[in-house]
Amino acid sequence: MSFFGFDPSMPPKQAQQHSKNNNNSETLDFEETYKGYGEYDQEEGDYLNEETFGGNVELGTDFDFGNGSNQQSQPQQQPSHEQAHRSYVQAASSGVQPTNLDANVDLKPMESLWSGNVNTSSPVPVQIPLQGQPQQQHVLSMEEIERQQRQMQQFNGAPGGPVTNGNNQNAQFMPPQGFMQGQYPGQFIPQQFPNMYHHPGPFYQQGPMAVPPPPPHVQQQSVPPQQVQQVQQQHVQQQHLPPSPQDQNVQTNNSHLPSPMLEHELGKSPQPILRQSQSPMPPTLQELAPQGQTSNQVPIQNQQQQQPSRQQQQRQPMPQQNRREPLSPEEQKRLQIRHAKVEKILKHAGLMTPRDKDFITRYQLSQIVTEDPYNEDFYFQVYKIIQRGGIVGESNKGLIARAYLEHSGHRLGGRYKRADIALQRMQSQVEKAVTVAKERPQKKNEDSLNAGNATGRDGVLGKVSTSMNSKAPRRQLTIPLSTSRSGSTLTDEDGELRRNSTAGALQEVAESLGNVDLNNKTRARRRSSYAFTSIDQNSVLTRSGGRKFVLSLIETVYEEVLELEANLRSGKEINNKELWSALHIDDEVYEVSPYISMLSFDKGVKIMPRIFNFLDKEQKLKLLQTFFSELSHLNIIIISSYKTNPTPTDAQLKKIDLFQTVFLKIIVSFLSNSSNFIEIMSLLLHLIKNNNVSFISTSKIGLNLITVLISRAALIRQDSNRSSVLSTPEISTWNEIYDKLFTALESKIANVFPPKEYIDTIIEVSQPKNVSPATCYYDQAYIWQFLASLALSGKLNHQRIIIDEVRDEIFGTITQAESLKEHLQQEVNSDSNNSTINSDEIMYRREKLYQDLNLFLNVMGLVSRDGEISELK
Amino acid sequence: MSSNTPLDLLKLNLDERIHVKLRGARSMTGTLQAFDSHCNIVLSDAVETIYELKDDGELQSNERSSEMVFVRGDSVTLITTPEDE
Repeated sequence: MSFFGFDPSMPPKQAQQHSKNNNNSETLDFEETYKGYGEYDQEEGDYLNEETFGGNVELGTDFDFGNGSNQQSQPQQQPSHEQAHRSYVQAASSGVQPTNLDANVDLKPMESLWSGNVNTSSPVPVQIPLQGQPQQQHVLSMEEIERQQRQMQQFNGAPGGPVTNGNNQNAQFMPPQGFMQGQYPGQFIPQQFPNMYHHPGPFYQQGPMAVPPPPPHVQQQSVPPQQVQQVQQQHVQQQHLPPSPQDQNVQTNNSHLPSPMLEHELGKSPQPILRQSQSPMPPTLQELAPQGQTSNQVPIQNQQQQQPSRQQQQRQPMPQQNRREPLSPEEQKRLQIRHAKVEKILKHAGLMTPRDKDFITRYQLSQIVTEDPYNEDFYFQVYKIIQRGGIVGESNKGLIARAYLEHSGHRLGGRYKRADIALQRMQSQVEKAVTVAKERPQKKNEDSLNAGNATGRDGVLGKVSTSMNSKAPRRQLTIPLSTSRSGSTLTDEDGELRRNSTAGALQEVAESLGNVDLNNKTRARRRSSYAFTSIDQNSVLTRSGGRKFVLSLIETVYEEVLELEANLRSGKEINNKELWSALHIDDEVYEVSPYISMLSFDKGVKIMPRIFNFLDKEQKLKLLQTFFSELSHLNIIIISSYKTNPTPTDAQLKKIDLFQTVFLKIIVSFLSNSSNFIEIMSLLLHLIKNNNVSFISTSKIGLNLITVLISRAALIRQDSNRSSVLSTPEISTWNEIYDKLFTALESKIANVFPPKEYIDTIIEVSQPKNVSPATCYYDQAYIWQFLASLALSGKLNHQRIIIDEVRDEIFGTITQAESLKEHLQQEVNSDSNNSTINSDEIMYRREKLYQDLNLFLNVMGLVSRDGEISELK
Repeated sequence: MSSNTPLDLLKLNLDERIHVKLRGARSMTGTLQAFDSHCNIVLSDAVETIYELKDDGELQSNERSSEMVFVRGDSVTLITTPEDE
């Protein structure tokens, strides 16, 4: 305890007492009254006695601290200055004690804390009358702020607080500690008190022993044990810890503000007293916060210096601030600045709860965690080992070397035989080296060869790496653009068989479409149906996963459908999830939907009606949307278009037939039974947006599909005209879509009619043996149906354009019909035998031609009969 | 569906045109209707081609088509997809 020493030049305690009592009348020699007891730091405990025991003396602002300040300034260079200072305070306070029993200063701080006043100075009401001090601006330190916040948070959970508060307000005679009252019956004799107080350390520190049994009246005061413990612990810490540099700061600060400091200390004084009643409780707080800011003064200082300390935060009494004397302007200014700063800090204080902070810490830590700490945290590992084995003074070099070798040496994972890690590391290193080596020639190749494709694909699928981590993340896929594909498929060997038949047509189509297809190649639009690679069925299959994949999908679909049908028969629950996933409708992985490719196989088409039985409406709609979006990829469209397939084979015609009877039927029934106007519009939009409409319209199937959509829409529109179901936005949307469709078709409407050679080819291929060519004809009804529905939905100007464009066809059809009539007459004239067989047929054909034509003409209020066109009556 | 065995691959081609090479310098092209583990095969719309090497070294081939045909498996030497079509 003598470690801190005591400055004998300090004024005696009595002097302080006197000074307080007499209002600075005189100062006494410290040695006289104090007899050197101040050497012990225990003294610090009694400087609040005056408040404790209700000294009447007012704790004014005008103490004579002349000596005190001198004393303080001296010890600044001494390690013991703090203690000296403290004892000085004690002297002062003990002198006041006898007359100031009423003061319950020590507990006030707690009150203010618990009352939750953060920013305001909030002087404790009791104090003001006692001390008569003007309320001062209260500047809070960081610690105070945090403490207060914490207390606010813990308010419910901390019973000690409210109790303390109650104590403050109710019990004017503060110290519940039996020690003081029991030990000092003669509280008014100042000498006695210090004597006892400064009892030599060893005995003193054994708190419980020093504490005499509390008198009964103390117990009646019902002191909250928690409070006592708190203070005790804090004080214990003060006793044990040597002054820290912070304490030095404290002292310095004190010298600047001598009088306020003392006031603070006076305010503090009850706590040291409490210390006397040390209970057997261990000083846990001390252990928790070993920062060593333990002196009485430290807390006071902290209010001004922002020293983080939990104990201080808890114990710092706010009244100390309140009791501060009026400050000099400079200091006030400083305080104001501080205040402003604190306000600023406070503004965002409490935004994060401790839990938030924990979370963030955890999150940050999780970023650091690695699977292979021995390598990633190498330096830490070495450091840890050094720390573990390190002895101060011993040469660390050996340790470091050993630690290093243990982890990186021994070739197979160091001392701990972490062979796996070593291998991993080696592998990743090799990988890195290979990668670097690979990337270098790749760049060269790209420069020199322009090709770069072979090497360009290296690592495209990412590394299958054992060290997939932050250092070697999976690389982005760089899918080579299919620019070369569309050209190559037509010229390479695969396409050679088809080239003869398709290349010419392709050019033609490309020309007729302008540069649309070329643009789309560069656009590299996924699943774009413009690209004429779709003409090559192999290419389509490849882009949708390959022939084998599509075929296996079909098998899967068959299995699923069979299972579902079995379930249906046996009345089990039907779950089409598997079926739906097998259809790969939503599958974006492939350039062409596998579902579209499925339809290029007959068995894929045949299963569709059975699939539809098990799909709900949403799925059907989605399926059809996909279907219409990728119509140009559809093999059947390619086959049935006279441009891409001018010479269809018998098998292909059968295929077209099959598709028409099977799939078109599904679509029609879906559209007419369960779809509404918006859905039809969306399907049409899918078709228009993603396909080259004019190309699709050159195929029979494609034209049929468009016809189905727009005719259904027209029907709904007509129906709803009566019931007025459609809203105006719906109609306007429809008009927009129709305009788009029409724009796509405009000037190419005549192209829907296949050329004569194509018709001839079809007739030739499909005609049965031994039948005269005249009886075989190409049914163009679907074309007139299309034109009819197109005109039906269009406005007058649309209809005019249509008529303009197909005028030749109209008259051609009429001419054909009339020629049939002539042909019939000729036959009747020439050969009466044959005519009986053929005449009916020819008459029927003629009727049919007019019928089809009138289908279209009727829409516009026209009718054609016997070679003439007239208005429909 | 997984295609683990050779016959699973064959299954994928159900209802598709296949080309079958047979013993005795014959081959068939047709739509695969059915098969079993012995490679017994049923083809529809099948065209059978019979090759014959003449004495003068000339290769002569005859075709014979049948709507539906059963091919016994022990004569099958190769099954593939047709080269064209």
